[in-house]
Amino acid sequence: MELTIAHLYPDAMSLYGEYANITVLRRKLEALGVEAAVREITFEDAADLSGADFIYMGAGTERRQKAVLNAAASLGARLKAAVEDGAVLLFTGNAMETLGASVTDAAGKVWPGYGLAEFTTVETDRRDPGDVVAASLLWDTPAVGFMNKCSATHGITSPMFSELPLGFGNETEHGPEGYVSGNVFATHLTGPVLVKNPHILDFFVRRLFAVKGWVCPEALPELPHQRAAYEVTLRELRARI
Amino acid sequence: MRLFLAAVVCRLLRFIGRLVGKGSSLPGKYALKICPDVLGRVKLPPCVIAVTGSNGKTSTVEMIAAILRADGKTVVYNEEGSNQIEGVTTLILCNSTLGGKMTADVLLLESDERYARRSFRWFHPTHFVITNLYRDQLTRNGSPEWVYNAILPALHPDTTLVLNADDPLVSCFARGRGRVKWFGLDECAVSTKEHHGVYHDGARCPACCGRMEYSCYHYEHIGHYRCADCGHHRHDADFSVTALDLESGTLTIDKETEISLAFKSIYNVYNILAAWSVCSLAGADKAVMARVINNYVLKNGRMVCFTIGSHHGTLLTSKHENSVAYNTNLGYIAQRAEPCEVLIIVDAISRKYFTGETSWLWDIDFNQLNRAHVKKVILCGKYVNDLAMRFDCTEIPGEKIVCCDTVPQAVQLLEGDGDAALYVVTCFSDRDKLLNLAKREG
Repeated sequence: MELTIAHLYPDAMSLYGEYANITVLRRKLEALGVEAAVREITFEDAADLSGADFIYMGAGTERRQKAVLNAAASLGARLKAAVEDGAVLLFTGNAMETLGASVTDAAGKVWPGYGLAEFTTVETDRRDPGDVVAASLLWDTPAVGFMNKCSATHGITSPMFSELPLGFGNETEHGPEGYVSGNVFATHLTGPVLVKNPHILDFFVRRLFAVKGWVCPEALPELPHQRAAYEVTLRELRARI
Repeated sequence: MRLFLAAVVCRLLRFIGRLVGKGSSLPGKYALKICPDVLGRVKLPPCVIAVTGSNGKTSTVEMIAAILRADGKTVVYNEEGSNQIEGVTTLILCNSTLGGKMTADVLLLESDERYARRSFRWFHPTHFVITNLYRDQLTRNGSPEWVYNAILPALHPDTTLVLNADDPLVSCFARGRGRVKWFGLDECAVSTKEHHGVYHDGARCPACCGRMEYSCYHYEHIGHYRCADCGHHRHDADFSVTALDLESGTLTIDKETEISLAFKSIYNVYNILAAWSVCSLAGADKAVMARVINNYVLKNGRMVCFTIGSHHGTLLTSKHENSVAYNTNLGYIAQRAEPCEVLIIVDAISRKYFTGETSWLWDIDFNQLNRAHVKKVILCGKYVNDLAMRFDCTEIPGEKIVCCDTVPQAVQLLEGDGDAALYVVTCFSDRDKLLNLAKREG
């Protein structure tokens, strides 16, 4: 069994440990007998998404995000085509914002997004980095993580997380967060989201098995220490709620 | 009158604070309430030096003070590390006459990188040293670019910037400015043609996001760079380390002054060079500078020797949430020749605030410990599982790794096990948990 992971702009959209999402996804897939090839795409490449089963972009600085929007204006059409071909998308941190209709920067300039969704984002000059506990109807247990945003995203009706007991959602504190539509998943959670959340990693593994038409085992193998690490973090964060 | 009142209240509160063991920011806070523009009213010394950056501020400031004092100048500086406006106000008012005149020759300030703008609203330094900008404490700082944007408005046109030429983001501060002096490291024995590390913050130009080309790397993204798109490049340094041998611990400044390193770390090299540069600009005598800086042992306690059981231990204080600090200390351990064990503690991520954020562990190049002389790596603390998972993704053989939930468990393990040299890598937030159970050495 083989599949292809496309990692978009890892040299630009890499704020804190984003690469580890790909590392653990590959490990998990390997444990299930799946060989995952990783195609890293930079500005100098033609952004070939053909045959990609999983497409990932992580968080970057505000300037890098604009460079991505600027340098890869045609990426939207390629992403849409890839999704129509069955690819699963995960965009984390401010990469999420690029999927929408536009990003308005702190100076008021409007940057067109890739247009996979209708939502719009407005940046501010205020940043409130903070820990997050996020509840979702997609999973039985909450997600843990960190958010490092200086923006608000408006117009999302299908969030990834229904509420944030700890943290700032798309528009409001504790409010809904992220975006889901079909196989397109986006959250402003930053960094190694799939490392910190074994259940979300499992979710994407199952989703990839489904789109490939493979039979997924009922119980997935666990990566050593991952669940224990998650439980400690969840316990610590819950104590702050 | 308000200046006088602010000065009196500040001194009184500082006196009382010292009696009851309180910090130095409160007196300044009240002084600022009485006289909000007090820092604009005091008469400062002719030389005001500020130092900021992600890493190396405290060490650089300590060395600058030592040099300038040896050169016969009276220096006032924030030794307690109170580097925000309130602490700076306390420092200035407690070292001024009640009429608001500072009597020292030099005011030296370690400045918090995010709040420099507040501190320097009312006055500006004559010299502003910026050491580096790294991924550091994302829980407070957001990103190096965000910190850059926070420092930029604090830089007055009349201030001479003393910049690390080898840091591509720091060098952006020089854009459109006249008063800039550069310090940097020539290509030397430690330089490599390839980048090392798990991430590369120099891959893209900080100015235009174009592709950067390096003729050499000294460590991380620090080196000699040029953007293939916009031409942003390393400037020739006014003050250079022209030769460096970290194994023997010697460096040469500007081809003529040889310095021995008490701590053989690339970090220390840059801190020394930054201190040397600004002290030169402040008119210090070269022979005095060389004498003070030679074999200088930092007093800020970031490297501590101790004994646990039969192990002779060295604590290399890092900063959690700062992969460069970790990488530098891991690099130091990797360069040692004798067999050793390494203890890494992540228990409380910060001593100042709570966070459960562990992304930064994935930015640390723990593979540096994949050396034959590193016999064992003990992982320990509340976040031991995060550490263990991170180590599972290195090339270090699993049988070398031992996990302990708590510091006392790790100490117990060490007490009953061998006499190999021990290196401990952890943060201020966790170091005393170990040192309290160890026997300190002189």
